[in-house]
Parts: sequence; structure tokens; C-alpha cells
Amino acid sequence: MARCLPAVIAVALLSAGCARVAPYARGRLAHPSMDPSADQGPGRAGLHAVQEGAIGGVGTRTSGCGCN
Amino acid sequence: MALPNPAPARLRRLSYAALLIGATVNAQAPPSPDPSAVRWDGSAEVSGYHDSDHVTVFTPAARARARTPSGWSASGGYLIDIVSAASVDIVSTASPRWTEVRHAANLGAGYDDGVTGLAATGVASMEPDYVSWSAGLQLSRAFADKHARLSLGYGYQRNIAGRTGTPFAVYALRSDRHTVDARLELVLGPATTLTPGLDVMFESGRQEKPYRWLPVFDDETADRVPPGASIELVDRLRLPGRMAERLPDRRRRVAASARLAHRFRRSTLVLWERAYADGWGMLANTTDARWVFDVAPRLSVWPALRLHNQSAVTFWRRAYVGRFQDGRVDVPSFRTGDREHGRLWTATLGAGVAVEPARDSRLSLQLDGAYTEFPDTLYIDHRWATFVVAGFSTRFR
Repeated sequence: MARCLPAVIAVALLSAGCARVAPYARGRLAHPSMDPSADQGPGRAGLHAVQEGAIGGVGTRTSGCGCN
Repeated sequence: MALPNPAPARLRRLSYAALLIGATVNAQAPPSPDPSAVRWDGSAEVSGYHDSDHVTVFTPAARARARTPSGWSASGGYLIDIVSAASVDIVSTASPRWTEVRHAANLGAGYDDGVTGLAATGVASMEPDYVSWSAGLQLSRAFADKHARLSLGYGYQRNIAGRTGTPFAVYALRSDRHTVDARLELVLGPATTLTPGLDVMFESGRQEKPYRWLPVFDDETADRVPPGASIELVDRLRLPGRMAERLPDRRRRVAASARLAHRFRRSTLVLWERAYADGWGMLANTTDARWVFDVAPRLSVWPALRLHNQSAVTFWRRAYVGRFQDGRVDVPSFRTGDREHGRLWTATLGAGVAVEPARDSRLSLQLDGAYTEFPDTLYIDHRWATFVVAGFSTRFR
């Protein structure tokens, strides 16, 4: 049970945190700065891929390189 | 006798003129966008990187996408990496500065009707001594009245590393990567989204770098090699000759991430966190934050912060020990000199500005400064770096 506790807490928080938002009330969600694609361009993505041992988590596909 | 006041007549003439001008301007105004027209997005960026280890990278990139009103889309992109390096790893093997150019191109196609989406991508990357190509498929579906969107993806990547001037048929190290990822975008409120994600990667094949040669030390001297030991000290203490890098043939990686975005009245806060673990024993966490402030209707500025911290892979050694046995040197099965396999932490601070000179056009500039500490590596124990990226994006029908 102790192992499942973080997952249970996460699901409970998400369930409690979700609020119904009508389509006409989503103007702020549609602001360009909220768009995940604005987080990083190809240059920055390549830099992080080369200089950090960890990869993943950004949802974009890149090619490999022999950069380092 | 009072003279007639000419003002009303003049006003009338002015009103007619204003109406005429208004009618002319209206007639010359561009028609409102045709909803049945194809919508185009285009973007270009130029980035530059330089660090205290004498590595410079210049990367121009461009991308375009077309979308039809029915939901079909096609995209393409191209980038060039121009790398010039005289890093301490190169100098330590008595090699001169080298400059290399990488070309990478991607193509994509997809369909999204607002509820269900399907996208396919292909990427190819070429260098004189390295070829990589990948393909991916992503399926997404919105549910709960578009309060949640689940995306599932699969990607395959093939890498071939060789040596410049030697055909791949003669010498090549091949490796593969399979990636499965899932992401769930949740609308938490009228201004907040949360996107947890999970990426699982399976890698197999030869991943070591053909040019990476490592110094070897005997039992007694290995402990006397301090972190950041200079090239001269390493050359004085090491055994004759160097050994090639060798990595395990299989690696499983898992990255769990979450992105929280909140739009305030005149600013947007984006927080991103990643926890990472892999089968080589590396653990890492990365935090990325950006707070965009609208300082004028078409002008925004932001500070940015990124913190990355990782442990070393289990077979990492600052100084590998070699033993002479029967006329040959016995060295550890797995060994690496890649600092990104060792323990390190990086702090990056940045600031950016974006202007919109016209509707649907955007110019941006961001400047970052980064400090990386390598507590357990040879030659250098830290690195300073600057990164600047200038971008332009536009959309039209």
C-alpha cells in the first residue's frame, strides 16, 4: 500500500484540481505562451541532448548525432 | 445684417470627404481570411553556443507547416550544426582543432480533427562520420469534453558511427533506440494545464565514440589522480598507450516528466520537471522554469532557469586501472571518458525578449549563461557556457 500511496495522492489531487471549463472560457489557455512547442527550439533541444546524460520528457523526436 | 456662418457647410464637406475616404479604405482593406484556405506556419532560428572548453556551435534552422481546414497537415524542417572544437579531450590526444558540419532534415504528416490526431515524422541526420535516421508515430485523443488529451507515441532511431574518410562498410558502430511515450494533457482550470508524461527507451548496439581514447593508470597511481588533473599531470602518471572507450551494448532509460503552465492576467508561468533513471545506474533530475511577462501589447520579456543534476553511471571511474598480465594490459570491460556519463550538475540562467511587429509574426531573442561542475572528471572540473538564440515565426493563409 505504501508503494501505491504517491499514485493515489496524485490521482486524488488531479481529480480535485480539475474544473469544468466552458469552450468560451478557454481564451487564456489558448495564449501562445501556453503552447508546449514554445518551450524550446531545435538548437536548445540539441544542446540539452548533448550536454545532459538524461534524455526524454519533452515529447519531440530528434535524430541522434555524434556531437560529444 | 449677419453674415452666414460657413462652419456647417465646411463640416458637411468634411463629413462627405471622411465618408469617401472610409469607403475607399474599406474597399482597399484586405478581405477577411478565407476559412477554407490552407494555413501556413513558418519559423526560423539561429543559435550560437560557446564554452570555456573551446567548443563553438552555430546552428541555423528553419521549419514550415501547412494545415488544411479539414485537419490534414504536412511539415518539413532543416538545420545545420557547424561545430568547431579544440576541447581538452581533443588536445589531450594531441589532435588539432576540428570543424564539422551536420545536416538534419525532418518531414512530417498528420491529421487532427480536434478530437483525434495521428502524426508521423521522419528525421535524418548526416555528418562525415555519423549517420542517424529516425521515424515516429503518434496517436492522440481528446476526451472528457476536451478537458484531457492522451497522446501515445512510438519512435525508432538508427545510428551509425564511423571514422571520417573510412567507408561505413569497412568500419561502423551501429546502435538502435526504440522509444515509447505517453503524455496526458489536463485542463485544471480556465488558465492552467498540467501535462504528466512518461518516456521509456530501449537502446542496443555499440554506443561508444570511435575517437575517444582513455588514459590508463596502475593501481598505485590511480588514487593520486585528482579531479580536474591537467593534461601534463595525466601524461606523467598514466601507463603507456591509451584504451578505446567501451560501453555496455544495452541501455534502458525511463524519464517521467510533468509540465505545469498557468496564464496569469499579464504573464505566463511554465514549470517543467523531469526525473530520469537508466539501466547503467544513472539517476537525474531536471527543472526548467520560464515566466513570460507582457510588458506591452506586443512586447514580452522573461527570465528562464534550468537546473540539471545527475549521478554517474556505475562503471564510471575518474582514473581507470590497467594491469599488466602475460604481456598485455588487462582493463575494465566497460569504461568511458564522456563527462555526460559522469556526475555533474548544471545551472542555467537566461533572459529573453519577444516582439510582434505585425499580427501573427514574432521575433524573439534569448541569452543564456550556464555553469557546469564536474566533481569527478579528468582535465576540467567546471565549464562556463553562453548560448544565444534568435527566432522568427509567422503564420498566414
